[in-house]
Amino acid sequence: MNNQAITKLRNTGFKTALVFIVMSIVGLLMYGLNLGIEFTGGVITRFETTEVVSQEKMQQLLQDQVQGQFKLESAKDNTQWSVHQEADQAKEHYKVWFDKLVKVADVGVQFLDSDAFGPQVGEQLINQGGLAMMAALVSILLYLAMRFEWRLAVGAITALFHDVLVVLGVFAFTGQEFNLTALAAILAVIGYSLNDSIIVGDRVRELMRLNKDSTLDSIINAAIASTMTRTLITSGTTLATIIAIWVLAGTPLRGFAMSLFTGILVGTLSSICIAATVPALLGLDVDHYKIKPEEEQEMLTP
Amino acid sequence: MKTAYKHPGRYSLWQYLVLAFTLIFMTLSALPNWYGEQPTVRLSSEQKDATALTPNALTKQLGEQGIEVTKVVTENYGVTIYLQQQDQQQHAQQVLKAAYNDDYSTALAMKSAAPAWLSDLGMNPVKLGLDLRGGVRFLLKVDTAVAVKEQLEQIQSHAKQLIRSNRLYGATAQVIAGNKVELSYKESQFDGMKAVKKTLRQSYPQLDFSSDGPTRFVIAYGEQAIAQFETEVMAQNLHTLRDRIEELGITEAVTQRKGKNHIRIELPGVQDPSEAKRIIGATAALDFHEVKATGGKVFLTKEGKEVSLKPLPLLSGKHIKDARAAFSDMGVPEVHLVLDETGGKIMTKHSQKNVGNPMVTVFTDYTQDAQGRSIKTAKIINMATITSVLGSRFSITNMQSAQAAQELALLLRAGSLTAPVTIEAESTIGPTLGHENINNGLAALALGLAVILIFMGLWYRRLGAIANIALGLNLICLLGLMSLIPGAVLTLPGIAGLVLTVGMAVDTNVLIFERIKEESNKGRSVLQAVDQGYSNAFATILDANITTLITAGILYGVGYGPVKGFAITLGLGILTSMFTGVFASRAMTNIAMLKSKKLLKGVCA
Repeated sequence: MNNQAITKLRNTGFKTALVFIVMSIVGLLMYGLNLGIEFTGGVITRFETTEVVSQEKMQQLLQDQVQGQFKLESAKDNTQWSVHQEADQAKEHYKVWFDKLVKVADVGVQFLDSDAFGPQVGEQLINQGGLAMMAALVSILLYLAMRFEWRLAVGAITALFHDVLVVLGVFAFTGQEFNLTALAAILAVIGYSLNDSIIVGDRVRELMRLNKDSTLDSIINAAIASTMTRTLITSGTTLATIIAIWVLAGTPLRGFAMSLFTGILVGTLSSICIAATVPALLGLDVDHYKIKPEEEQEMLTP
Repeated sequence: MKTAYKHPGRYSLWQYLVLAFTLIFMTLSALPNWYGEQPTVRLSSEQKDATALTPNALTKQLGEQGIEVTKVVTENYGVTIYLQQQDQQQHAQQVLKAAYNDDYSTALAMKSAAPAWLSDLGMNPVKLGLDLRGGVRFLLKVDTAVAVKEQLEQIQSHAKQLIRSNRLYGATAQVIAGNKVELSYKESQFDGMKAVKKTLRQSYPQLDFSSDGPTRFVIAYGEQAIAQFETEVMAQNLHTLRDRIEELGITEAVTQRKGKNHIRIELPGVQDPSEAKRIIGATAALDFHEVKATGGKVFLTKEGKEVSLKPLPLLSGKHIKDARAAFSDMGVPEVHLVLDETGGKIMTKHSQKNVGNPMVTVFTDYTQDAQGRSIKTAKIINMATITSVLGSRFSITNMQSAQAAQELALLLRAGSLTAPVTIEAESTIGPTLGHENINNGLAALALGLAVILIFMGLWYRRLGAIANIALGLNLICLLGLMSLIPGAVLTLPGIAGLVLTVGMAVDTNVLIFERIKEESNKGRSVLQAVDQGYSNAFATILDANITTLITAGILYGVGYGPVKGFAITLGLGILTSMFTGVFASRAMTNIAMLKSKKLLKGVCA
């Protein structure tokens, strides 16, 4: 890829990223996140039936056993069921109505799992999750500030914010349940997103030292060009494994896989288009990495 | 010229040895996972005259109930029965409990199915999380505020008692806001109150005391004292809960303090949460008894010795206000007790007449069996001789060890405190889902791995083969490391982390290979290109992985349940992938290059 093509790619990508950010904010404001019961409180009980049962029939069957209001959802062609109760509606332990259901149902019923969360737990987990996210950001910020020129560090962090925001935006638009594992995946995205940005940043730094006479733009482009293959391969292999998780690992990891997939996809884009572009906008100059005389001496002697 | 070039990055013999040793060790450590685990029920007894058990009879007995037994191993003090199916474990326990409850206690466990020599080396399969093996998880909230309130009320009634006994009529004591007890009295009673204050100061050294004018005196729990008190309450509750879970016969339970006032309990293998719920909510008590030479009620000591005691306790444990482990002047461990006012009086009266006689401490607990009946279990935890007249403060002397003293103090405090516990979250994972999760996770791993192996092989040819071997070694090392680390648990998100690690681990090699390609394009010789590629890429690899390592660390710190498993595989995966991706693949590259220079086919033009 030549210089101009990369500049064009960067500019287009940067604008696209801005559009993504705006859309994600709009999505979050309009729809919000479909939080999992870990956060909202409530009871979910899941079970399987040996044969296909119609939704109406199952609803009727459960109506007679379950006290209070509930929401019934089916999966796997009406053989897997989940009963969702709000925290204040779950009047009996699930075991009570489930045992009755097993007796009255004319098909085999197999218990899968049940989760019950009190409303206070959610508040705590949200606080903890937020705290974790902040802790991750701060420690990474510190690390980057130590390791890089501040403009490069800000570039990486901007890319990071973009990634997290877009992942949340996708959750808002699709209505996919945002649960604890999805939150964990976002933290992993933070780590991975930086991984790419750092590799580009590392190259920018290295090339700045070696080519003092080139323009900043061409140095950034050269850095992107030389890391492009690596970025694409690594993102590609990682995405491939995430697709494997998404397709095969079942419902519990759906939100997790979606979170990681989006995060790594847009993370690749942002590390190329944001992480390297923002420092230039902030006025990064080739002189910032001018090699000091003693260092130059060191580099010249083999 | 090229052949004369001494390869600067060639490893010395010891480096190869370290590498080989690590890989062999990790393989050994990972090996038990191949065999998996088998569900077992263990019957154990400390009684010498316990009914003898024969493997054949047990197999037959369980077989009649439709429970398949794979083998029965006779050990000291009992037998371990290996079962075919995990979902029959609880049924088997019930059957055995019904048959041998008098002589044997039963416990459920998962045992490694690997050959004995691996277990003898201490190599066991990685621990599976609840989402993979089924079980129950509780998140309990301990209401420490109630415990603090009760403690304050205790102080209040103590103060009232003292006021009465000093005949300071009209003086009052009341609990006021801000964790304080306020004494108010007439100015004329100031001198008389001195004795009351003195006793209170001595009884509660950890509290803050302050006079507020001539008619008010305030006893306050400082922030530090409250924090310390809450920590003690949590420790006591955890201890009691652990004991109870052990009673249930669940040996691999996890009981952990989480945050300020939460307790997380994981009971693997349990399928009915209601039973566990009853046990966790039960109450315990502690009493002091006198020995009765003939015709008393028989209690058992820890060692199984029978002791006859007066059936009605001399003093109930409700009167224990505080208990601390300490050492006597002679250096023998003992437990210092503080009784409340009523308790102190009873003890003084009793001990005046009974110097030289023994006093026995009995621990009683109400537990509920499967049918919901309350069962009283009582055991003697201490027998000591009264050496002098005792007041509200006395000691249980001659403890076996400092640890025993500490434990007794803790038990005594636990008995004296009631911090109510509520279940805030409860998850049950059925055994079917556990199996399904394992299968799904492994399928995802297989698919992800296959895609990557094929891609790397096609894209980088021979170097790709090296990367693929490194990837295989990485998985082995990761599994080996996880089996080795005691706290590491594999969960479903953990398996996802494993799959993800596979995708990310090739990054290390991709970075190196792309560097080699670049160096080769600059016109360097093959050997130089390889050398430069490895050394230049390493700084970048380190930089890139540190950020993920940071997030993994944070995730582990705050993670809840299964998420913690993800943090573990994520973090350890990065470490092992750097080891195999840089160190091991470098060694393989070196060895391969000695044989043929065509290695870089597919990488260099």
